[in-house]
Amino acid sequence: MTVIEFNSVSKTYQGKVVLEDFTLVVEAGERVVILGPSGCGKTTVLRLLAGFIAPDSGSVSIAGQLVAAEGKIIQPPERRNLGMVFQDMALWPHLTVEGNLEFGLKAQHVVKSERQRRITGMLALVQMDAYRRARPPELSGGQQQRIALARALILQPRVLLMDEALSSLDEELNQHLRKELLLLHGQLGFTLIYVTHDHVEAHDIGTQIVCMRKGRIERIGTASGVMPRGADTLGADAAK
Amino acid sequence: MMARRSVLIIAVLLLAVIGLAPMVVMFARSITVDGGLSLEFYRNLMASDRPWRLLGNSLTLASLVALLSTLLGVSLGIVLGKTDIPLRRLFTLLFTLPLLIPSYITALSWADVLGGSGLASHFVSAAWIKTASALLFGLPGCVLVLASTFMPVVMLATMIYLRTINPRLEEAARLVSRPSGVLRAITIPLIRPGIVLAATLVFLLALGDFGVPTFLRVDVFPTESFTQFSAFYNFGAATAAAVPLAILTIAVLGGEQLFLRHRTDELRPASGGDDLPRLRLGRGKPLVVIAVAVLCLVIVVIPLIALLVQSGSAGAYIRALHTVGDSLVRSLVLAAVGATALTILGFFVGYLIHTRALAVWRAVDAWTVLLFALPSTVIGIGLIALWNRPATNLIYATPLMILLGYLAQYTALTSRATVAGLALVPASMEEAAAVTGAGWVRRVILIVVPLVRRTLMGGWLIAYIFCLRDTGITMLVYPPGYDTLPVRILTLMANGAPDLIAAASVLMIVATVVPLAILALILGKQRRSR
Repeated sequence: MTVIEFNSVSKTYQGKVVLEDFTLVVEAGERVVILGPSGCGKTTVLRLLAGFIAPDSGSVSIAGQLVAAEGKIIQPPERRNLGMVFQDMALWPHLTVEGNLEFGLKAQHVVKSERQRRITGMLALVQMDAYRRARPPELSGGQQQRIALARALILQPRVLLMDEALSSLDEELNQHLRKELLLLHGQLGFTLIYVTHDHVEAHDIGTQIVCMRKGRIERIGTASGVMPRGADTLGADAAK
Repeated sequence: MMARRSVLIIAVLLLAVIGLAPMVVMFARSITVDGGLSLEFYRNLMASDRPWRLLGNSLTLASLVALLSTLLGVSLGIVLGKTDIPLRRLFTLLFTLPLLIPSYITALSWADVLGGSGLASHFVSAAWIKTASALLFGLPGCVLVLASTFMPVVMLATMIYLRTINPRLEEAARLVSRPSGVLRAITIPLIRPGIVLAATLVFLLALGDFGVPTFLRVDVFPTESFTQFSAFYNFGAATAAAVPLAILTIAVLGGEQLFLRHRTDELRPASGGDDLPRLRLGRGKPLVVIAVAVLCLVIVVIPLIALLVQSGSAGAYIRALHTVGDSLVRSLVLAAVGATALTILGFFVGYLIHTRALAVWRAVDAWTVLLFALPSTVIGIGLIALWNRPATNLIYATPLMILLGYLAQYTALTSRATVAGLALVPASMEEAAAVTGAGWVRRVILIVVPLVRRTLMGGWLIAYIFCLRDTGITMLVYPPGYDTLPVRILTLMANGAPDLIAAASVLMIVATVVPLAILALILGKQRRSR
């Protein structure tokens, strides 16, 4: 079943074309990695999908429903059922861990007992039960990352967007969280759109890899087909 | 290193002589009678219930002004700083206007609207005018005028602090909540420390204002010092009356330092704020525009129109120029010289605070903020206490006293502007110059100052406006024959012709707004050419 469909989407920002004729179809449960160097338009893809910006031309559909087209946002972000983990985590510093997780549940009018049950369950899933009352600035980078992931997943989104979400972590922690992410994906079955410039991350996470350069799709295919492990050519290409 | 240390120490010493010494001497004078320690002035002050009643009035007035300013300022700050409302800059400029002119001119313009023969009398019944006039000349009117004067402080602070929020924090919330929910649960709580700080400042400014309460006949505490000094020339009583206000200001600012400072320090204005995504008002846009326009009309435009109507004819302006022309020129010259001195002193104080080059940086920062928040009468009395003696008559009898007053009260404006500017300049810029062998003076002149040039220009302009509108300090310390325009207008208000006073007030507004417009043009031209 098709979950996401970009249909010939273009986007210009301050006179510069950041995305051009971008077409992509993502099936349910897939793990799609968008790989490319800085400024290639990969984050723009996520922001279009999230509903933060509208395409200048072309259209975006989620679960068969048109959500944005031709300069207009048809469905606002809060009605798209998406979760997102940002590069800088974007945890709300004035709220506790529990408050961060509860915000979305409250906005969706989930009753208190159910909110508590889901928060407890999600914190257990990301192994952060002990930090329920902590505030984000008190947490380490890895812990913040787990909470950001928990916050994105607690509303059981059909699609999880991750924008260079692990890039700020050291290699060991990055690798560890990659494994946890795949484990969560196996358990919860969401569709994952993961943006990165790191070809190792791309290889480990993606079932489908979209290589971008200068706002266009350069190559697209399975991880093993487009980018065999150990062959760094694509990563090198993408980094150019 | 030696040059840097020496210059910064000189700046600190200057600030100590200009701002600290007057306060110390004033306090000493308040507890001295015939060369001996005595609390007689305080005993006399507290002998009746009058000071307590005045203090109660002052606190009520300041609290109501802070409350109303915060409600209006936050709402307007969000609408103008966060949404896609049209004419944003025009509305911002118009709402800011009352802050730029002496507050009593706003009071005067309101009297020209609601007074017995005011603008409103042509449109409504005499009974209505009588009621409105009674409200204006009392606590409600005082709250209205001071709130419209100081509301821009909260509005501008809200707009600036909104630009400090990481947009990702709001986007993360937008994924699950409507814009109104994001505003309520994320945006406003994030900038709450900044809003509380601005509200505190408004409280202190309203607490120290004496021009508006005097004109609108509300008895408040700051008038006590002034009256004791100017009417009875009881200097000891004047200093004793100033001390409670100083203590109150120190207590409020102490609370701010304890509870808010570390939080507001985290909110630093981001560059490129104009590019931030704006909330779409959608179908509610016409309604919001109408509400903002009506508010602007009521609290800014109508009083100004009343002032223009009252000034009447070109003849009134010619008479005004003839009568107050010399004061106008003095005001412009003193404001320009004061702003320049403030920019220079503020730069070094700001540099000290930013680099923390001397151990006293935090005390210096706190002291400049305290001086800014202190009622102007307190500073004026302090300056007189220090300089009014035979040995220093060379200074006391000259306009230098007015400049010292400006430096004492307004250094925080330029030092804070410098700190904000320096925060956006990477430390590596000065370090790179140091590596080439350039000395500190050379680095400052050729690297640091050019990099913060725009901030310094902005600081100069703010200082110019505050010096130009200053009434409280100048009223107390100006030597005979050296009154400024705000002081002259205030004097004229006792017995001058209404059209003459209105014309002089319009001249005052023009003198304030013209440099602003010129600077806006220059900055706009610079931005377009980049």
